[in-house]
Amino acid sequence: MKTLKKYGPFYLLMLPVAIYFILFSYYPLVKGLQTSFQDYKLMGARPYVGFANYETVGHDPTFWNAFWNTLIIGGGIWIGGFFAPLIVALSLNEVLHRPFKKAAQLILYVPHLLSWVVIGGVCIFLLSPDTGFVNLLLGKLLGLKPINFLAEDSWARGIMIGSAVWKDMGYNCILFLAGIVAINPSLYEAARMDGATRWQQLLYVTLPQLANTMKVILLLNTLGILRIFDQIFVMRNPAIAGKVDVLMMYTFQKGIMEIRIGPAAAASFYVVLLTLLLTVAVRKMTRFDEV
Amino acid sequence: MKFKFSAALSAVAAGVLLLSACAGQDSSSPAATGSSEASDSGASAVSTDSVGGKLVILSGNVGGKTPEGNEKFAKALGDKLGLDVTLDKPASDYDQKVLTALGSGAKYDLIEVSDLAKLNAFISQGVVTDVTDFVQNSPVLSDPSVIPTAEWDQLKGKDGKIYGVFSKFQGATMPIVRKDWLNKLNLQEPKTLDELYDVLKAFKEDDPDGNGKADTYGLSTSGLYDIQGIMSAAGLKYRYVIKDGKRTIPYASDAAIPMYEWFAKLVKEGIMDPNFVTNDTAKMRNLFLSDRVGMITYWDAWVGMFNNLKKQEDPNTTFQAEGMASIPAADGAILMRRGDPDFWIIPKNAPHPEAAKKFLEFWQTQDGILLGSLGVEGYDYTVDNGVYTLTDTGKQANMDHGVPFWYNSNVKSPFPALPGVEDAMALSKKYATLELSLPTWPDAEKIVTNYALKAMSGQMPAKDAVAQMQKELKDANLIDE
Repeated sequence: MKTLKKYGPFYLLMLPVAIYFILFSYYPLVKGLQTSFQDYKLMGARPYVGFANYETVGHDPTFWNAFWNTLIIGGGIWIGGFFAPLIVALSLNEVLHRPFKKAAQLILYVPHLLSWVVIGGVCIFLLSPDTGFVNLLLGKLLGLKPINFLAEDSWARGIMIGSAVWKDMGYNCILFLAGIVAINPSLYEAARMDGATRWQQLLYVTLPQLANTMKVILLLNTLGILRIFDQIFVMRNPAIAGKVDVLMMYTFQKGIMEIRIGPAAAASFYVVLLTLLLTVAVRKMTRFDEV
Repeated sequence: MKFKFSAALSAVAAGVLLLSACAGQDSSSPAATGSSEASDSGASAVSTDSVGGKLVILSGNVGGKTPEGNEKFAKALGDKLGLDVTLDKPASDYDQKVLTALGSGAKYDLIEVSDLAKLNAFISQGVVTDVTDFVQNSPVLSDPSVIPTAEWDQLKGKDGKIYGVFSKFQGATMPIVRKDWLNKLNLQEPKTLDELYDVLKAFKEDDPDGNGKADTYGLSTSGLYDIQGIMSAAGLKYRYVIKDGKRTIPYASDAAIPMYEWFAKLVKEGIMDPNFVTNDTAKMRNLFLSDRVGMITYWDAWVGMFNNLKKQEDPNTTFQAEGMASIPAADGAILMRRGDPDFWIIPKNAPHPEAAKKFLEFWQTQDGILLGSLGVEGYDYTVDNGVYTLTDTGKQANMDHGVPFWYNSNVKSPFPALPGVEDAMALSKKYATLELSLPTWPDAEKIVTNYALKAMSGQMPAKDAVAQMQKELKDANLIDE
């Protein structure tokens, strides 16, 4: 009781946040779980059917195709989304001309602020086989024939990975730069006194000191791997659907387009479960708790 | 303390869940009551002066073009019906809004739907009220001059009962050609696949827009269903066709191979817009309106709208769009694709089903059709001594507030039809038929479109694409032969 009196105001401050999460995160989660065990009709009786929806989804080859697509595209974004901003942040850190550095940061960050509707539209326009800038450039510089990037299987996943990495590079880059700025300058000073070159300072001071930031970014990227949707929804087309349709797209199609709510809920719980497993694995691998 | 706080949180969570569960119960229970209310209400037509009260509508197309226009539309509708009308017209993601509304127990008296597969899904989900008795006993709706009797078959469920009422007359898609380009190049409207190739090639190579640049394409499309007008040349109907009791998909048959090869030839020679795989319909329309392409495949109603839009832009324009019949098959048969109808359903949890029925009858009358086409008097149009004049707002709406065309043959538009549209509509009425969409179509469609587009764009030999299509469709038990 004493503790409650002492910390009461703090608990009170927490209450709106707790209510928010209960209402908008946990309640839908519980409701979704319930739905995944029901023969869910939009109206009328909704009998429980045990694991039937999970079995339906588990035996659906489209689900497994979407699963592999998710792992490949999500994995690509996970790796690219880690290394690309790291390299850019390390490069920007070497830039001494401050206005250029700030301008570069701004330009890199802007795509993160735009929705996938805008970015997807820009990508479709840039990659168009007749008037797209990329094909015009390839034609002028290398004399290549136009490539229909967004209609060919061989390019589809690469385009999705590349555009996603590009879009969010600025955001992760800023996190890395913040980590770099926080490194104790005396470490560099000591390294210089020991005769370390810039490359050696990067290898033996900057990177080890960024370890904690890297862990956070890896974990944040992991949480998003299986939830890719907006990008695919905007940039997919029937010709490449088999290569880019991901788990959330499968859920959307089952739930919204085909009105099969039970299997859609089951599929989304597979996603929740897999995300949980991936997150635990990454935490273990990176020894996240030792941050 | 920790325990107490957790317990308190759990109690809050449990309370919320309980309340929500109650809400869920509440939302489903009217379904039952609504059902009985609605099912026995069709014994006679609705008395037009006895309903009163409220009417809540969820609409995808019907209504004003702007929030302000929509408000005025709802008010005008309410005045005509003597009801307090709420018209919810989402700006986007309509299907999701409908599903969310139905799933969450939101109560609407009428929901506009434009997909027969969705209607079947809603019927099996127990969402839709049977309106058979109401339709058959309604002096308005049962009148064949208002809605031809055979048309009702479209809105019947597997049990033979009627589950919806039309909101407008739905036309067909067809090849739409630049007639002025044909004239300029001294070409005739193509009647065979070879003639079509020659015309499209000329559109590509003979500078039909006269700007001295090779910047035009012969043909552009968006989506596979759009090519029906050309696939007709091989007698191929889109989606399913039942042959001797077996499910077949003509686009996945060997007969489709030469057609895909024909398209691949167009792509290879630069006659076809190379963006046809990624095009949405808006891009395709813009290409047509901006003199970049000589032929597209699209809705008959758009023939008139294309001509009207260009006329408004430049009164001296030479632009002339014309709808043409599909290319006939060897036996002379012409296949055209009629679109799924736009129709209203009364959800089983509708709080005011009688008001909904009053609306459904009104919507097919002169006043209802004027509102659905021209819009709101004093806002979209004015009437002076019997002379109708469109306002600027009305002109922008193109006489379409959800009902550009209607079934009721007794109602004539006060304005002449938009240029070219009547001829296009005549073709639709003569040749267009509905497609057969079985519940397995969404899965089959992915396979068919994937390989068809690969074959058409030349990424894959047509023969291999069709063989792969057939294999995957059979493996997934989506076709019988």
